[in-house]
Amino acid sequence: MYKFPSEEWANAYFEQLNGNADYKDSARDWEGDITLVISADDTMKDNAYLYLDLYHGTCRKYIYTTDSSSIPKSEFTYSGKYGNWKKLINGEIDPIKGILTGKFKLKGSMSKIMRYTKAAKLMVNTASRVPSVF
Amino acid sequence: MWFFRSPSIIYGEESVTYLNDIPQRRIVIVTDGNIVKAGLVDIVRKELPEDSDVLVIDTVPVEPTISYVLSIKNKISGFSPDLIVGLGGGSCMDSAKAAFATYERPDMDMHDITPLVHLDLRKKSRLILIPTTSGTGSECSWASVISDDDHGRKNEFASPEIIADFAILDPAMVSSLPESVRKSTAIDALTHAIEARSSTWKNPYSDIFADKAVELIASNLFEALDNSKNTEAVANVHIGASMAGLAFSNSQITLAHSLGHSLGAHFNIPHGISVGIFLPHVIRFNYSEAKKEYAEINRKFPSSIRKRYLYLTVESFLEVLKMPVTISDLKISKKEYDEKMESMVSLALESTGTVLNPRDAGRPELEKLLKEIE
Repeated sequence: MYKFPSEEWANAYFEQLNGNADYKDSARDWEGDITLVISADDTMKDNAYLYLDLYHGTCRKYIYTTDSSSIPKSEFTYSGKYGNWKKLINGEIDPIKGILTGKFKLKGSMSKIMRYTKAAKLMVNTASRVPSVF
Repeated sequence: MWFFRSPSIIYGEESVTYLNDIPQRRIVIVTDGNIVKAGLVDIVRKELPEDSDVLVIDTVPVEPTISYVLSIKNKISGFSPDLIVGLGGGSCMDSAKAAFATYERPDMDMHDITPLVHLDLRKKSRLILIPTTSGTGSECSWASVISDDDHGRKNEFASPEIIADFAILDPAMVSSLPESVRKSTAIDALTHAIEARSSTWKNPYSDIFADKAVELIASNLFEALDNSKNTEAVANVHIGASMAGLAFSNSQITLAHSLGHSLGAHFNIPHGISVGIFLPHVIRFNYSEAKKEYAEINRKFPSSIRKRYLYLTVESFLEVLKMPVTISDLKISKKEYDEKMESMVSLALESTGTVLNPRDAGRPELEKLLKEIE
C-alpha cells in the first residue's frame, strides 16, 4: 500500500501507467505533459504536484513534489482537492464528471484533449489501480 | 451531484404560433435552401412579430463545416440579432447553435465549445430551434456536430450553454418529409434512446425519456410512414425523437454513434443510416454489460415487433424499414472500406461515445465491429 500523495505512490502510479496496455494504445499519438495537482484542504496541509511527461502512450518521466516551482510548466493541469482525489482513486468520482461538477479543473487546449478523452480517462483512472492509503 | 438540462419545449399542432409573442425583434433564421423551397421559412416568418427585422441565412450545407460557421459569423454580427432561430434538420440546428456561440463569443475558438469550458453566453441573444425532421434531437441537445473543412472529422462540439432556450415541435413542420428521410431520422432517434439508456452516464431522468421515446417512435412510426396525414402519429414520432434527444443529451451516446460518425465522415453517409447500421452490432457487443437496460427498453417496443432480445428486435425493425445493413447496401467497396479501416478505428476511438460505452472498447473491438458490416 502506498500513501497518497507521496513519492512512493507517484512511482507506483508511474509503473501502473506504463503497464496499462489500454492506455498505451489509446494514447499512442499523444505528445504532451500534464501536472496532476492535489490541492490542500482540511485534511491535507500542502499542495502536492505530480508532473507527467507523456509521449506516445508512455510516461517518460515523472516528478513528485510539494514545490510547484520545481516542476516544468506543463501543457495541461488537472487539479482537485485532496478529498476529491481520494474519492476519484476510490472510484467514487468519474474523472470527466468530476470536471463537469466542479470537483476537478482541467486547464490546457480543449481541442487537443477532446480528441483523447479515452486516453485521458484511462490515465486518471490508473490512479485507482494503485493500492492506496490516505 | 448531476444535472438534468432541457430547453423549454412548446409542442403540438400550431405550436409555431408561440413566435407571435416573443419579445425579440432582430431575428436571424439559420436554415437551408430546401427548407425555403418547402415553404417552411415563410410559415415561420409569418408567425414572427410584425415589427421584427428578419435576416434569413439559407445556405447551411448538408454537412456544415467550421469554415461555414465562421463564414456566417460576420453576417450575423453585422445584423446584431437578439434572437437566432435554427430551422431545419440537424445540420441547420447544429449550425445555428455553433453560430449562436460564435456570435456571443467572437473571440472564442470553436473547439472551446466543450462542457469543460465556461462560455458565458446569452449576453446578446437567445436561441430557438425548430426541427423539420424527427430524429436528430438537436433541438433538445447540447451538442453541435460540425465537420472539419476537409470532412475528415465530425467534431462533436458540446456544451450545456448551447442548449436552446426554446424548442418548438410543430408537426406541421415535418408533415411533408420524404419517406427515406423519415426512416433514417427515426432510426437516428431510436439509436439516441437506446444508447442513452445504456451509457455509463445514464440516470433516472435520461432513462424515463429514453423509454418513452422508444415507445412513441416504435408504436407510431409505421403509421406515420403509411399515412403522413395522421397528425397524431406524426406528432408522436416527432415528440419521441425530441425525447430521445433529451435522453442522450442528459446521458450520452455510445459506440453506435462513435462508429457511425466515423463511417459517415469517411464515406459521406447520412447520419441516421450510418449510426443505425451499427446499432444491432453494438447492442450485441454490449449485452453482457447492459443486459438489464436492454431488456427494459426492449419491452417498450410493441409486442408485434418485439423479439426475445433487443438486438433481434432492432434487426427486425431495420429489416422492415428496408434500411442498409452492410457496406454493399451503402455502395461502398470492400477494398476502400478496408483501406480506411485504421483511420476509421482511430476516429471512433476519439469519440466520447467510446469512453461512455458500457463495455470497454479499444482498437481491436472497434475494428471487429466495423468489420461486422462488411
